[in-house]
Amino acid sequence: MQYRKVQVIGGRGEGPDRFRAELQSVAVDSRGRIYAAGDSEIKVFDAAGAIARRWSTAKPPLAVAPAADGSVYVGEAGQIEIFSNGRLIDTWRNAQLLGRVTAIRFTEESVLAGDASDRAIRRLDRHGKLLNTIGKDNPVNGLLIPNGVVDLGVDGRGVIHAANPGKHRVEQYAADGRLLGHIGRFNGTDPAGFTGCCNPTNVAVGECLYTAEKAGPRVKAYDFSGRLLAVIAGDAFDANCKNMSIAVDARRRLYVADTVKLAILVFEEVAG
Amino acid sequence: MSADMTRRGLLGNAARGAVLLTLGGGTGFLVRKAHGQVVWQVDVTRCLNSRLGEVTGDGCRLCTSECVVGLSAVRAVNEYSKCGRCSICPAYFDITSAVDEHGLPSEKLCPRDAVTRTPIGKVDPEDPANNYYEYAIDEEKCDGCGRCAMRCKEPLGLGAITLRVRYDRCLNCNKCAISRACPQNAFIQLPIEQALQAQEVKRSGS
Amino acid sequence: MNAGPQGGAGFPACRRNRHAGRPAALALLLALFTSLVLSVSRAPAQAIPYQRQVQTAPQPDTIGGGYKTPEVQRARPRQYWLQVLDVVLLAVAMCVTVWIVLKRRNRKWVVVTAAGSLAYFGFYREGCICPIGSIQNVTVALTDPGYSIPIVVTATFVLPLAVALFFGRAFCGGVCPLGAIQELVVLKPIRTPRRLDRALGLLKYVYLGLAILFAVKPALARDFLICRFDPFVGLFRREGAPHMLMLGGAFLVGGMFIGRPYCRYLCPYGALLSWCSRLAYRGVTVTPDKELDCGLCAGACPYGAIEEMRTVRWDCLYCARCYAFCPRDGQLARAKAPLVRLPGATS
Repeated sequence: MQYRKVQVIGGRGEGPDRFRAELQSVAVDSRGRIYAAGDSEIKVFDAAGAIARRWSTAKPPLAVAPAADGSVYVGEAGQIEIFSNGRLIDTWRNAQLLGRVTAIRFTEESVLAGDASDRAIRRLDRHGKLLNTIGKDNPVNGLLIPNGVVDLGVDGRGVIHAANPGKHRVEQYAADGRLLGHIGRFNGTDPAGFTGCCNPTNVAVGECLYTAEKAGPRVKAYDFSGRLLAVIAGDAFDANCKNMSIAVDARRRLYVADTVKLAILVFEEVAG
Repeated sequence: MSADMTRRGLLGNAARGAVLLTLGGGTGFLVRKAHGQVVWQVDVTRCLNSRLGEVTGDGCRLCTSECVVGLSAVRAVNEYSKCGRCSICPAYFDITSAVDEHGLPSEKLCPRDAVTRTPIGKVDPEDPANNYYEYAIDEEKCDGCGRCAMRCKEPLGLGAITLRVRYDRCLNCNKCAISRACPQNAFIQLPIEQALQAQEVKRSGS
Repeated sequence: MNAGPQGGAGFPACRRNRHAGRPAALALLLALFTSLVLSVSRAPAQAIPYQRQVQTAPQPDTIGGGYKTPEVQRARPRQYWLQVLDVVLLAVAMCVTVWIVLKRRNRKWVVVTAAGSLAYFGFYREGCICPIGSIQNVTVALTDPGYSIPIVVTATFVLPLAVALFFGRAFCGGVCPLGAIQELVVLKPIRTPRRLDRALGLLKYVYLGLAILFAVKPALARDFLICRFDPFVGLFRREGAPHMLMLGGAFLVGGMFIGRPYCRYLCPYGALLSWCSRLAYRGVTVTPDKELDCGLCAGACPYGAIEEMRTVRWDCLYCARCYAFCPRDGQLARAKAPLVRLPGATS
């Protein structure tokens, strides 16, 4: 499987479709609109890459996730804000449970929020009430996160795939918090392994599992048994990229946030 | 004992008085202007081993070779509160070396074996990868070569290890020999309290 | 030989009383200076608080198991009171040298003081900070508004000059480690011809000029020549670049046959001290009415500081060899009558 860069959205600059200082998270909804969290606002781009809408958030946003009903959940430090049509409709505040929300995903009945300051995944119901915590102290030290980002993905069967960079793995959890297994291991020289001190930093789940790494930045695709399918490597990203957020849409296009150039790179699968 | 004597004595006294006044005036000026000690320190925003963007090979070793003190006065220092305490630390291991049967790289990075690795916190007896580790640098062995600082800096690491000048070893030369040789002009003079504080490397991305 | 009128009887009496008060005045001055320096010192801080964005790295409660983040050692430099102590010892050593040479007229104790200074200021403090190099620091501090030096450095520069102004080059005799190391290797000094001596002596002014010239340059171009080309610092540190160690060795070997070559021909601070000691109130003297014209003192002086049976005040390096060789010295040391300085006889 090979990937080819087809589009660059955003970039560093002062315009409405540009980012000034940060690009933290990227997400895509079922209609192909791209949501980007950066600076102090959420930007929505249409499929062609033009800016469709933007609104500012109370605190610098760390995660963005569009829900099926059209509302947009934004993770920040200490809270999750929920917007609809650009207007704030709800805020879930909890400094202990939602200390630094760096990823939000949805299952059928719950909202999963990755809390990087406590290194855990919170499973909340649709009203913001905590159902259970996943990944903490599991088995002994839980998610080893040195770089301040907890990222996760949910596959079609409801299994939660969480990046555990300190152990160089992607771990699978059930919704009630049981550890089901893991894939990946440290291997500096083998492209199928993860390099450096803490990789993979980010994950996304579509039809296969996508991981993002830093220091030798690359994005890889694995199948759910851990077999390497594709690598997007090297010069596609700036060498100093770190914590690149990934999103994948229904057409299997990959959206990767380049955190140095402050642009969203769009990759398409090519036959071969 | 005549006018001759007293005149010469007077002239002598006058000359001495004049020189004393000059010395006193200069001293007064300098004392009013004086401040505490100024020392040399590494500017991590310029040092090749600490600043972003330089990932070439072994980094710069001039701090080791240029210092007039036998074993350089520069040391790699680990800011513990910034350290990720990762199991596989790129400053401890040579992560490009082959992986051994425990899943760890087989070779260590420091040529003088100055970095030590100890498990801390809640230790998992079954899975060594499931632990936090403390990395300490022995200052008797470290010579400030900067390899570990190069590997620890972002994006590969968290930038917890930087090269710092140690004032129990530094002679505080008027013109530091390392500052003369440094290609990045990364040696600056700072008041002692400022020089002892940890410096931040500003990151351009998130 | 004895030129000029003789001193009268009444005159020495006044002098005697003033001499009694001189050491006390010096001690008082020293005490005042020390208290000034100490009062302006800043006590070193014990804890250095710093803010850090600690969200990313794991915290002790995350790590668990009773773990506490260890303290990062902040290696502090030498404590301030020790730097003040160095200045105090400098002043004390100079006072001691003045007393030994002018009052006790004893060469043996001068050698002991010089050896002690070599041990402390030379090998223990490794020759740093020294008044010779401080010329550059003072020059920069006077000319660059953004640069200032601690009080101890100013004191190190000024004190030997102040002493030279009253008593001559006591610093050179018993305190300066560079001088002391050369002093201790003098073996068979030759008499350099006067013209050559004078010509070579001009080199110190060239060196002084160059040192000041390079010190007044802007910060990045500034060069501290005296520190860089100090031939003895490599020996004091017991390590250094091979060419500097060999240069130091060469100066010592040369110093066995030419007395104190660095001091006489190169030392830029010696240039300043020689100007001050020209105006000295007292110094090493050859007493005209007691001398025998034997010439032993002039023969003993390796530095050419006795001409026509009188000391050349600005060349005298306070080694007290002239006193050691004087056949009358025993009498003079015990003499109650103070030395008389005749106007025409001294320079």
